[in-house]
Amino acid sequence: MGTMIAGKLLRLVPIVLLVSLGSFLLLELVPGDPALAVLGETATPERVAEVRAELGLDRPLAERYGEWLGGVVTGDFGRSVVPPVQDVSTMIAARLPVTLEIALLAMLMSLAMAVPFGLWTAHRAGAPLDTAVGGAAFAAISMPSFLSALVLVFFLIFNRGSVRLLVLVLGLALAAGVAVRAVRSARRDGGWERSHRLALVGAAVAAGVAVLLAVALPVFPRQGFVRITGGGLIENLRSAFLPALTLALVEGAVFLRVLRNDLVGTLQEDFVLAARAKGMSTPHVLVRDALRPSSFSLVTVAGVTLGRLLGGTVIVETVFRVPGMGSMLVDAIQTKDFPVVQASVLVLALLFVLINTAVDLSYAYLDPRIRRGGR
Amino acid sequence: MVDAEPLLDARDVEVAPPPAPDEATPAPAGWRRHRRAIAAAGLVGGAAVTWMGTTGAVDLPWPRAATVVVGVALLLAGIDSALKLWRGERVQTALWLSVAWLVIVGAAALLADVLPLAEAQDPSRTLTEPSLVRPDLFSEHPLGTDRQSLDILGGVVYGARVSLTVGLGAVAIGLVVGGFLGLLAGYYRGRVDAVIGLVTDALIAFPPLILLLALVSALEPSVRNVTIGLAVLSIPIYVRLARANTLRYAERDFVVMARALGGRDRRILFRELLPNVLPPLVSYGFVVVAVLVVAEASLSYLGLSVQRPNPTWGNLIAAGEDSFDRHPHLVFAPGIVLFLTVFALNRVGEAARVLWDPRARRADGGR
Repeated sequence: MGTMIAGKLLRLVPIVLLVSLGSFLLLELVPGDPALAVLGETATPERVAEVRAELGLDRPLAERYGEWLGGVVTGDFGRSVVPPVQDVSTMIAARLPVTLEIALLAMLMSLAMAVPFGLWTAHRAGAPLDTAVGGAAFAAISMPSFLSALVLVFFLIFNRGSVRLLVLVLGLALAAGVAVRAVRSARRDGGWERSHRLALVGAAVAAGVAVLLAVALPVFPRQGFVRITGGGLIENLRSAFLPALTLALVEGAVFLRVLRNDLVGTLQEDFVLAARAKGMSTPHVLVRDALRPSSFSLVTVAGVTLGRLLGGTVIVETVFRVPGMGSMLVDAIQTKDFPVVQASVLVLALLFVLINTAVDLSYAYLDPRIRRGGR
Repeated sequence: MVDAEPLLDARDVEVAPPPAPDEATPAPAGWRRHRRAIAAAGLVGGAAVTWMGTTGAVDLPWPRAATVVVGVALLLAGIDSALKLWRGERVQTALWLSVAWLVIVGAAALLADVLPLAEAQDPSRTLTEPSLVRPDLFSEHPLGTDRQSLDILGGVVYGARVSLTVGLGAVAIGLVVGGFLGLLAGYYRGRVDAVIGLVTDALIAFPPLILLLALVSALEPSVRNVTIGLAVLSIPIYVRLARANTLRYAERDFVVMARALGGRDRRILFRELLPNVLPPLVSYGFVVVAVLVVAEASLSYLGLSVQRPNPTWGNLIAAGEDSFDRHPHLVFAPGIVLFLTVFALNRVGEAARVLWDPRARRADGGR
């Protein structure tokens, strides 16, 4: 176990070096003089010389890389070359927490959506509901995130009134349908059993949720972000909700498919049959017996996703004008602020690498076969 | 690192296991008896209701949208029933429709110059045209016009050209370069494998969109440069895929025998291994094209890909964004086309993988 961890960490070293070299060499890809790209064709020669010095273009490549790497290790990413001139590390320190918060929220929301639906559709594999949810998940995966962000904006912000009405009507219709079916089947079976009463409770809950959503659907801001320190937790969550939901729709769909397919396999195993034969209730079998052995792929995918969300936030931060790493990167690319581009690419890539390695290690920890190296 | 398969899944190419089959559920006998009626009613009624919604017959935004939704739903039910009558109950309607959609989009992109489209690129030639016209399928501007009176359908068709050129071009480059490197790594193993693996790992260490942004930040956003950027994105996917597939065949009898008979490396690589490794790579292509089309659209939404006046799906959506509360068609017309194209590519890609990739078939067979 220890040697395996050491081996994985050792393998990280050349990759991290290559990643930093790649981020650094971005500047070399710029055709012509990067200083001219920053300032435009009309710049005075003095200003161009100044920016060239700031970018270090007057010195040899290897020396610059060494110095840059030395700075990075000590947390010094240089200064931005486009006004307002700031320390890049200060900019990152202000923006990284925002991106991390949105990524984490998106993660939680997608798991909250995927696990219940995954359990239910695996339980009813092949039923119309399973087909419908599977189709919806497939559609969600095919949806570019900037598009789903705009769809959410269109419905939840621009047409909030109509959506509330729609939620109310659909929710009550669903509740009524479930209730009517329960009453009918109770009459057919000649008595009220537990499942019928549960269905009635479910109908009541659905109706309640629909009414609650219709009455108290929160107003989400079209753009901007409120920090916890600036406006409290509630305001903060309200401004982070739509960006996180946008990302969660796609990732949740991915999780749902992974979990459902694993669960369908697990539910056919002998120990599940044994639990059923012993008379365990369906919820008990699903949650207590089947969920844990089915969640290995989910853990892998979820970990990888957390890393990928760091890239995905570029889009939602731009759509919702959230001041995170992604929008900083896009702005810096547009103004050709190369030190900021290099630093944010490097930071995001390093986080991605670290999270993926952590997932690898935790996967090995979760699965005894890998832990013993007996694969 | 665990195994080649989860690693492949680490990219956003394909994280989900094979498809939820939409054919397997046997329809209740009652439904099946009425196939003919449903097909006829769906096709005729759906077409009529959709037509009502898309022309001026209903002129309030929400009822109009609802009419179109109902019409399209009826139409789909009709097509589904008709296909089932024709090809049997197990037909995959979504797959057929996806193929049809891709053919339409591809043909439109190819024939963009000869199609009778209204002006979509040069605002100085649309001064006399009405601006912000709403979509009306049987008019001069089927998908409406934008603020500068440019035709949206024309923009979408020329955008399809950019998306498909970029996506297919990048996959072709990725397939050739990545496939070749993966073949070498899987066949020679040892030091070659280590070097190729390290570079691949370093490329994969960047979150995909960030890598693309980084590449584009340094280069001018042209079709060529965006294609190169996307190709760099797809190369590591193909390296891993080709390597994993090569490993599966490298120890097989026919390879060992070819070597025992004195076959040279080049012959074994290209005559024995390549024909076996290629089908899964190609079948993966559809899904990779889908990912790259999304990446290009995201890039041009951010304003970092091909620029106006050349329309792309992404920059059309970005241009419509600031007024789409009052003029939703500016975003939804290109948006729906983008979504349907990506959906169709994913759907066809899944079918192709079940057909050509033994690993996908095995995973699917276990269901």
